[in-house]
Amino acid sequence: MAGFITFLFLARTGIRENKVLWLLIAAFALFPIFTHFANLPFWNDVAMRIMLLGIAAMGLNLVLGYGGMVSFGHAAFVGIGAYCVGISQFYGLTNGWLHILFSLGVCGSLGLMIGYLALRTSGIYFIMITLAFAQMLFFFFVSLEQFGGDDGMSIDRAEFAVIDLYEPLRLYFLIWAALAFISLGLMFIIRSRFGVTLRAIKSNESRIEAMGLEPLNFKIISYVISAVICGISGALFASWQEYVSPDIMHWTRSGELMIIIILGGLGTLAGPLLGAIVFLLLEEFLPLMLGEIAPTYAENWMILFGPLLIMVVLFGRGGLMGLTTQYLAREKSHKTEEG
Amino acid sequence: MAPTVLELCGIHKSFGALIATQDLSLKVSHGEIHALIGPNGAGKTTLIQQIYGALKPDSGQVLLNGKDVTGLSVPARVKAGIGRSFQISNVLMDFTVLENSIIAEQARLGQCFQFLRPAFSDKRLCNGGEAILDRVGLLDRANQPVRNLAHGERRMLELALALAASPSLLLLDEPLAGAGPDESQHMTAIIDALRGKVAILLIEHDMDAVFRLADRITVMVEGRIIATGTPKEISSNKEVKAAYLGDEN
Amino acid sequence: MTLTLFLEQLFNGLQAGVTLFLVAAGLTLILGIMDFVFLAHGAQVMIGAYAAAAITAATGNFYIGVALAIPVTFASGYFLEYLIIRHLYQRDHMDQVLATFGLILFFNEAIRIGFGPAALFSNLPPSLSGFVEILPDTPYPTFRLVVIAIGLICALAIHIFVSRTRIGAVVRAGANNPEMTAALGINIKILFRLIFATGACLAGVAGMMLGPLTAVQPGMGEPLLILSLVVIIIGGIGSVRGAFIAAIIVGLVDTLGRIFLPSLLRLFFEQATADGAGPALASMLVYILMAVVLIFRPTGLFPAKV
Repeated sequence: MAGFITFLFLARTGIRENKVLWLLIAAFALFPIFTHFANLPFWNDVAMRIMLLGIAAMGLNLVLGYGGMVSFGHAAFVGIGAYCVGISQFYGLTNGWLHILFSLGVCGSLGLMIGYLALRTSGIYFIMITLAFAQMLFFFFVSLEQFGGDDGMSIDRAEFAVIDLYEPLRLYFLIWAALAFISLGLMFIIRSRFGVTLRAIKSNESRIEAMGLEPLNFKIISYVISAVICGISGALFASWQEYVSPDIMHWTRSGELMIIIILGGLGTLAGPLLGAIVFLLLEEFLPLMLGEIAPTYAENWMILFGPLLIMVVLFGRGGLMGLTTQYLAREKSHKTEEG
Repeated sequence: MAPTVLELCGIHKSFGALIATQDLSLKVSHGEIHALIGPNGAGKTTLIQQIYGALKPDSGQVLLNGKDVTGLSVPARVKAGIGRSFQISNVLMDFTVLENSIIAEQARLGQCFQFLRPAFSDKRLCNGGEAILDRVGLLDRANQPVRNLAHGERRMLELALALAASPSLLLLDEPLAGAGPDESQHMTAIIDALRGKVAILLIEHDMDAVFRLADRITVMVEGRIIATGTPKEISSNKEVKAAYLGDEN
Repeated sequence: MTLTLFLEQLFNGLQAGVTLFLVAAGLTLILGIMDFVFLAHGAQVMIGAYAAAAITAATGNFYIGVALAIPVTFASGYFLEYLIIRHLYQRDHMDQVLATFGLILFFNEAIRIGFGPAALFSNLPPSLSGFVEILPDTPYPTFRLVVIAIGLICALAIHIFVSRTRIGAVVRAGANNPEMTAALGINIKILFRLIFATGACLAGVAGMMLGPLTAVQPGMGEPLLILSLVVIIIGGIGSVRGAFIAAIIVGLVDTLGRIFLPSLLRLFFEQATADGAGPALASMLVYILMAVVLIFRPTGLFPAKV
């Protein structure tokens, strides 16, 4: 009982310190009401994709933003999570909880293996090795003919005992619950003694060694946690898309996850979710914008997105969360001046 | 006679044709401040690195409190009782002073693998962290980001972090380098106060400080020890004068 | 029959290897010595292939197409460095990854707008489209032999250049201490730009040679980029010699593995198992090779001397 009260207390202070994140999560909970009255059911679908990408990017952010490990292969874990669902169904296993458990186990052990091999290196080597391992898994699924190979396999929405995912909004709130749960978990981890040590390793690895701690252990554990989170995102992705193909783990997908993080703000809790919102909105609206100017080229919105990304990297330090924090800080100093 | 904390037996290390440490043996006992001096390139830092575990000697043994630690990694040696400050101050730049000491405190307590209990807002860790800072007189700077600290204060913080786990051996690599006169005096006083509590191996170029602080001095030239003794013995040693002190005058 | 097939595949592997080397040669210097994560190197392959195909189509002469495409790729590398890359040297790896990823998106889309999303096919001139008998009764496409020859000549030229000029040492010195190198009378900024341009040019040549063998299409350079990253990891980052040997190994393992691994597996397993696992295993072979190298030699087979 006392433990539960401590938990609630800690959660409350954590939520207070991460207002942007929890405001966004609350907004996602209320969003279906808006789409219902505005008669925009299509946007529920977009919101689900944002949440799924947000979860995966949050997982990547743990190693990338907090641990300073530039992993360029995290889409592989999303893909493995999705394929775990597809393959279990292929062999007649329909229980959604078991699917997620299966995804967790497979992504966790793959994360451990890849992490153990890749984390022995650092810098450019680490980037290239994570990329290469992801490619290996990509080609593995491309050549697995019994699971559709290049064309992928179709998937039924998983069965979650009492929740029928074919009922309206059930899947939406399942994804929302996963998002809320993972956000809460990550919030605790990042404020925890483990999370603080991980951030300290990013700041100065040799000082952590001088404190008698082996940095590799912390890195591997965070790598496994992040792989597992991406796996959950993938498992839910399978139900959302009702289909999975190797495309989900293509290396450009890993790049997209990194883009989402840099847009939202590296090493912040809300950053990945905010970045996912911006990324998907750009994906929706850049073609429309381009269509207004040059109708024949509406499909080629990447021609704008590429340079935009370069601009963000060159000039936009800290992403949207950076801007928000600066804005809030300025508001605060205004208020103190007035007061 | 105080017990021997560090014993080096025939440590040898070469990089290609360059012999950095040549069949070197040395003892440091509990409570003494043992200074290691020598001209640039004598192999002092290479030796410290081998004691610390960042470099492995080609042959020979490193004994810490009588236990062979030659095969151990850096973190394992730290756990066995080695604390260290580096030539270029090595602290967690992205954190505040108190956060630095809190991380050292949780490392000391072996609580770094806890995934739920928060770190920086924890009362007990804060108290522990403050105690670590108090030892070197940094308590009034606790909430400053390390980036805002003066050079000497960073060195002081680094010393505090190295002392946090109550090591039996403290390796100090030029703790006075780059410090102003006041900072230098403060640091010297703190090191002096550690006499009798911990074995200290000190590399320092400031000869005044060395002769004021050291109980014993070892002089290294080209990877070899040419003399070991009290400051008095060293200052009158002819070989040392010729090889080292002579250069300065 | 089997010997013929084997010989043919051996040559195909060699051809794939030298092509890979052309991509990896510049990239290994950029990654290893300039410490810059450059993902858009694959786009240079594509630019080379498109430039050659477009000029060939316009002039009707393959040789003019290739001859004019070479300066185009050189210029593209030169201006890319001038406009974007040089602002990124001081940034962290994450920024470099994202910015050069943005470049890939831009180049692929620009090509799609300029030339359409469909693949271009370029025809070889009659002088190159024939066959040569490498052994009695073993014909082999002339063009592939030419590719191997050009690749080997380039490799030799790079080797002589690198060993004579000690360019690796100079660039490394420049990356570590620009002022020092500048004091030696070497303009490090221009040197970096020239490395980019030359690297782009070599990658472009790889693209031109691949054009007639495969399809010229948007994004064609990316698979090659990733394979050349594997080559660089195996060979040792920053080492041109390592890149050459690893490129040949990867080319051979990949080509021969795809052809012979399924039948090899059939010797040990049931037909069904072998047919299922064969292609999957074959496509992963080079990555498995990479993992094995990493376990035993984390810095690659021929790590560049620091």
